[in-house]
Amino acid sequence: MSLVLLLRLGVVLSAIYCLIALTILVARTFSFGRPPRYSKAQGSAAKGIVYAFGQGMLPWEKESAFKHLPTFFAGILYHAGIFAAVFFLITTLLLIRLPDIAILIIRLLAVIGLLSGIGLLAKRFALPYMRFISCIDDYIANILVGLLLLVTILATYYYVLQFAMMAVAITLLLYIPVGKIRHCVFFFYSRILFGAFFGRRGTLPHPSTED
Amino acid sequence: MSEDIRKDSYEERISSLTSAEFAKALQTFCDKIEFGDAAQLNSCVHCGLCADTCHYYLASSELEALPAYKLNLVSAVFKNQHTRLGKIAPALTGAEALDADMISRWVDSLYGRCSLCGRCALNCTLGINISRLIRLARTTLASVDLVPSELQSTVSTAVDKGNNMGIPRQEWLDTLQWLDEELQQEVSDPSAHLPIDQSHTRLFYTVNPREPKFFPLSLLATAKIFYAAGESWTFSSDYYDVTNYGLFSGDDQASGVISARLRDSMHKLHANTLVLGECGHGYNANRWEAPEWLAGAYGFEAKSILEIIADYIRQGRIKLDPSRNQKRVTLHDPCNLVRLGGIIEEQRFILKRAVSDFVEMYPNREQNFCCGGGGGQLSMTRFAKRRIEAGRIKADQIRATGAKIVVAPCHNCIDQLMELNKEYKLGVEIKTVSEMVADALIIER
Ligand code: SF4
Ligand code: SF4
Repeated sequence: MSLVLLLRLGVVLSAIYCLIALTILVARTFSFGRPPRYSKAQGSAAKGIVYAFGQGMLPWEKESAFKHLPTFFAGILYHAGIFAAVFFLITTLLLIRLPDIAILIIRLLAVIGLLSGIGLLAKRFALPYMRFISCIDDYIANILVGLLLLVTILATYYYVLQFAMMAVAITLLLYIPVGKIRHCVFFFYSRILFGAFFGRRGTLPHPSTED
Repeated sequence: MSEDIRKDSYEERISSLTSAEFAKALQTFCDKIEFGDAAQLNSCVHCGLCADTCHYYLASSELEALPAYKLNLVSAVFKNQHTRLGKIAPALTGAEALDADMISRWVDSLYGRCSLCGRCALNCTLGINISRLIRLARTTLASVDLVPSELQSTVSTAVDKGNNMGIPRQEWLDTLQWLDEELQQEVSDPSAHLPIDQSHTRLFYTVNPREPKFFPLSLLATAKIFYAAGESWTFSSDYYDVTNYGLFSGDDQASGVISARLRDSMHKLHANTLVLGECGHGYNANRWEAPEWLAGAYGFEAKSILEIIADYIRQGRIKLDPSRNQKRVTLHDPCNLVRLGGIIEEQRFILKRAVSDFVEMYPNREQNFCCGGGGGQLSMTRFAKRRIEAGRIKADQIRATGAKIVVAPCHNCIDQLMELNKEYKLGVEIKTVSEMVADALIIER
C-alpha cells in the first residue's frame, strides 16, 4: 500500500475513532441524568435556545465580546480557518479537484486563521491572567490546530505536502476527544443549556418594555 | 490561602477532615452533578473573556477572583473523577483531587470571592452556568459542615427559629400591631390594618425579616399599597420569611426545610398566590429553586410583589402622582431577581409612573453588576473587606447617574448599598420600590 493510501486510511480511521469517542463522551454526560423541573416556566426555553444561537452570538449582546472585539473576531477568523482546512482535507481525501478560486479562498482563510491562532496563543502566553487559567492542554490544542493550518496552507501550494497535512490531521483527530477541542461538541451542548436556562426564566430573549 | 480564612479554626477543621469525610464530600459532588453540569464542566476553553464580567476581579485584579479560575477549581475535581486523561495525566488538563488543599481553595474562592450573581454565566463565550457549578461545590462543602460559620448560623437560625433573624413570634405580632396604628394614621382610616392568618385571601405576603427588625416603614409602604388597591391579603403569624440562605450556603436539605414552610403555610391558609417581598434571592429561591428542592410543583402561583404592584397600576387599582417624587432616581437590579429571576421590566414600569426623574445606571437589567451583597457575602463577615472592595463597581455605576435616590427591590442589596454609600461617600438615599410607590400613592376614599 502506498504512503498516501496509508495516510488516507489513517485519517478516515482516526476520524471514525474521534466521532465514536465524542459520542461516548456525550452519552456519558447523559448518564448523569437529570431530575424533572418542577418550577413553572416564565419564559420559553425554546426561544432562549434560538436566542443562544442567533441574536445571542452577536458581539453587542455579550459584554465578553463587545469589550474584547479583537479577541472575538480573532476567535471567529481562527475557526473560519479551521473549517476551511477541514474542508480542504475532506476534498483531498475524496480526490476532489477544487477550482483555483476555491483553493485561493481556502488558503486565504487558513492564513488569516493561522495568524489569528498565533495571536490568541501569544495572548495566552503574554497575559498573566490567561496563563493563570490555562493548562498544558490549551497550548497543545492551539499548537496542533496551528500546525494543521500551516500544513494546509503549504498543501494548497505544494500538493505533495498533503502527506504532512494528513499526518497532522491524524494526530489532531486522535487528540480531539481527550483535550479541550472536544468543545466542538460541548459548545452546542452548553449553548443549548444556556438558552434553555435563561429562556425558561424569562431573562432571554430580552422581554419587551411597555413604554 | 487568604489571611481571612486562617484567622479562625477553619484551616484546622479542613486539616482534620477524615478520609470518610473526604469520601462523603466527593460522593455528594458526584451525586449532585446533572447531565447539564457534566457537559458544562467539560466545556470551558479558557478564553478568559469572562474575566472582567466579575465585579470581584474587576475591583481587585486578583487572579483567584477570575470566574474561569473558580470554574477551574470545580472542573479540576470533575476531570479527576470522570475523565480518562484527568486520571492518567491530570496535569495535562488541570485535573486535581479533592484534597485538603483543594478544599481550602474552594472555600477561599468559591465562598470568599463569589456572590453567585451569574453575570459570568450570562457572558461566557459558551454559556457555562458558572454560578450554578460554584454552588454545586458549596453543596459539597456543606455536606461535610464546611459552610463558613457565620453563613451557617443564618441558615441554622432560620431552620430552628422559623426566620433568619430569630425574631420571636410575639415580637413579630407586636410590630404588626404597631404598624396597624401607623397605617391607620397614614391613610386616615381606623379600619385599615395588616391582616394576620386570614384564610382564603388572594395573596399571602412574605418579607425579609430585616423589614420588621430594622425597616418597618418599608413594610408599612407595602401595606399602604395593598390598602389602596383594596387587596385581599394576609401575613402568617409563624412563617413570613421570604429569605432562604440555603441557596447561598449550598445546603439543599436546609433549603428544602425552609421553603417547605412557606408552601405549607400557603396550603394552611388556603391563599391563592404566594407573594414574595422585595428580596432578590428570596425570589429566586422561592420562585425557581424551591419546587426543585421540594421535588414537586407548587400548585399555586408564586409572584414578586413587583408583578403585583405593576398589575395594580395597569388595572387602575392604584393611582400614582410622580410629582411627589421629584429627586432623581436610579434603579439597582438585584441579580437573583433580574438576571436569575426574570423580573426585569416590572420595576421600570412602576418607577416610570412613580417618580418624575428616572435614570438607568449602566449596564442595567440582566447585565447589571452585582452590588456585592449576594451569595451570602453579607453574612460571611470574614470576607467583608473583599465584599466592600468588590462593591466599588456598583458605587461607580451609581455615582455616574447623578441620582439622589437608589431604588433596590432587595433588602440584602439595600444593606450592601448602605455600606457602599458610606464607604464611597455616595450621598444617596436607598429605598425599596414599594416605598417610592407609597410616597406617590393617591389614596382615594
Ligand atoms: S457568579 Fe458573579 S461573583 Fe461569582 S464568579 Fe461569576 S461574576 Fe463573579
Ligand atoms: S468565558 Fe466561558 S469558556 Fe471562556 S474562560 Fe470564561 S468560563 Fe471558560
